[in-house]
Amino acid sequence: MSSRRSRSRQQSGVSRSTNNNITDDQITDLVSKLQQLIPEIRNSRSDKVSASKVLQETCNYIRNLHREVDDLSDRLSELLATTETDSAQAAIIRSLLM
Amino acid sequence: MGIMDKKKAIKLSADLAIASARKGTTYWSRAIIAKATAENNDCSRIIVENILGPERAERLEKASKLSAVRYNNRLLRSRKILKKCHNVRRALRKNVPRRVVAANSIAKRMVEKRTQVLKGLVPGGEFMDEVSLIEETLDYLVSLRAQVDVMRCLACATDLVNGKYEGKKKLAIVKRRVCGLLLLFG
Repeated sequence: MSSRRSRSRQQSGVSRSTNNNITDDQITDLVSKLQQLIPEIRNSRSDKVSASKVLQETCNYIRNLHREVDDLSDRLSELLATTETDSAQAAIIRSLLM
Repeated sequence: MGIMDKKKAIKLSADLAIASARKGTTYWSRAIIAKATAENNDCSRIIVENILGPERAERLEKASKLSAVRYNNRLLRSRKILKKCHNVRRALRKNVPRRVVAANSIAKRMVEKRTQVLKGLVPGGEFMDEVSLIEETLDYLVSLRAQVDVMRCLACATDLVNGKYEGKKKLAIVKRRVCGLLLLFG
């Protein structure tokens, strides 16, 4: 059963150690990388942040980014609706996108 | 196309754009593409083909469908329950005091709960194990930030072109925004 697990891991295309057991070091390394990406934790840095807090802040951050994308799509859909399709202005926007 | 459809189209294009940048190397990007190609309406198909190109769209569609079925959900869940029982029993056998075992298992349960929430947020996350989930999250976070930056620049540029700002300020803002866009794409 362990050989089946290692085979499916190698097929998934993400680099990983050949060891079957997930080492704690691997996980703490990844969690610390995650910590550096999240602004709330990075700015108010204390020495030890628990894994559960990192995960919680990650989820909040992703939710905020999703909300921003949503707001920006709203704004863009209104803006693009008001820009007339044949004007020079629309040509500028189109050239930025292509 | 109404404004709501336009908004959905913009979101879909933005998601497909960051997914296609990964060229099928990450799970989350394949999940986004699989979901987009599974939708049956013409609008989605047009967007997929325009952003990915028709041959690549077909190839990625096949690859995405395969990888989504790979993990067996039920197998993962039963393995997790077994692991939990074994770990508690092992700790008790080593004469670790029960309150420490309880505290450890509470901490583990918190981490598992948060991991479940994360799985719901990252596309395709429900099928991943812990390590892949964190790796995919790292990549997804970076791509999401890039997506927000590009959309913000675009919205500002559109505001400008529609005549929102006046005079000299306009030129300075145009220069800044265009440089920002070029940096992101270059």
